[in-house]
Amino acid sequence: MAFDADTADTDEALLAAYATGDARAAFVLTQRLAPRVFGHALRLTGNRADAEDITQEALLRLWRLAPDWRPGEAKITTWLYRVTGNLCIDRARARKPTVALDAVAEPADDAPHAAARLQDTARMMALQAALADLPERQRQAVVLRHIEGLGNPEIARIMDMNVEAVESLTARGKRALSAALAGRREELGYAEG
Amino acid sequence: MRKADDLLDDAALDALFASVRANPQLPSTAVMNRLYDAALAAQPVQRPDLLPLPVNRDARREAPWRRAMAQLLEAIGGWPALAGLATAGVAGLWIGFNPPQALTVWTGPGDLTMLAPYDLSLLDEEG
Repeated sequence: MAFDADTADTDEALLAAYATGDARAAFVLTQRLAPRVFGHALRLTGNRADAEDITQEALLRLWRLAPDWRPGEAKITTWLYRVTGNLCIDRARARKPTVALDAVAEPADDAPHAAARLQDTARMMALQAALADLPERQRQAVVLRHIEGLGNPEIARIMDMNVEAVESLTARGKRALSAALAGRREELGYAEG
Repeated sequence: MRKADDLLDDAALDALFASVRANPQLPSTAVMNRLYDAALAAQPVQRPDLLPLPVNRDARREAPWRRAMAQLLEAIGGWPALAGLATAGVAGLWIGFNPPQALTVWTGPGDLTMLAPYDLSLLDEEG
C-alpha cells in the first residue's frame, strides 16, 4: 500500500501527534499496531471474532490514554501486549477457549505452492491446538517468546513477573508442546529419515 | 521421565515456530478500516487541517486537469489509440499542404470533365 505505515517515526512520536489531532498518525499507528495486537490475541484465544474484539478494545484504551502517555516510561508495544494478554485472560475465564481451527486462515486452492501452504496450515493448526491446551500464563509466555520473538526481560515486564519465572514458564510450555505434538511428527512433515 | 520419542525435538519445534512466524494471521481489510475509523472517532482533538491520507497518495497530488486528461485517454483506448490519432492527424496535415495528384480530382478545382463518363453512365442506367 502506498501509505507511510513504515515511516521512521517512533510509536511514541506518532502517539503524541495522534493526541494533537493528526489523522495521519492515527492511520500509521493503526496499520502498525493492529496486526500485532490481533495476531497476539488470535494466538491466545484461538478465535478470530474474539481477537478482533480484543484488538478494538486494546487500541481504544491506547487512544484514550494518548494525551496522558508519559514518554520514556514504557514501550507502547509492551503496554499493548500486557493489555491484550489481560483482555484475553478475562475473556477465557468468561468462556472456555475454543480449539483453533478458526485461528488459521484457509489457504487458496489455486496457490502455486498449494502443497507447501497446506503443510504450513496443518502445522499452524496443530500448534494452535497444542497451545490451547496449555495453562494461560504458559501459553502467553510461549507465544511472546517463540512467536512474537520478544526477549525474556520484556516478557517479564509484560507479564509482571521476574525473568527467572518467565524462563521457567517458557521452558515448561515448550516441553508441554513437544509432548503434545510428538505423535504428529509425520503429519507435520518432521518425520525422521 | 519421558523418552525422546515422546517429544518433538527442539529443532522440529523451532521449525514449527518459524513456520508460524512466517505466516502471520492478519485482520481483514474491513476490520482494519473499522479500527482506523474508531481511532479517528476516539481522537481527543479533531484537526480538519490534518485530514486522513487518501488511499492512493499519488492521487492526492494529481491536479484535476491531469485527472480529466487521464480519464479522456482511458476513454479513447489509452496511449496506442492516441498514437494512432496523432499519426492520422499528421498525415492529414501533409495531404492538406501537398495533395497527391490523384486526390486533386476529388478535392481541387481540376478538370471536371474527367467525371463525365461516370455521370453519363449513371444517367443511362436510370433512363
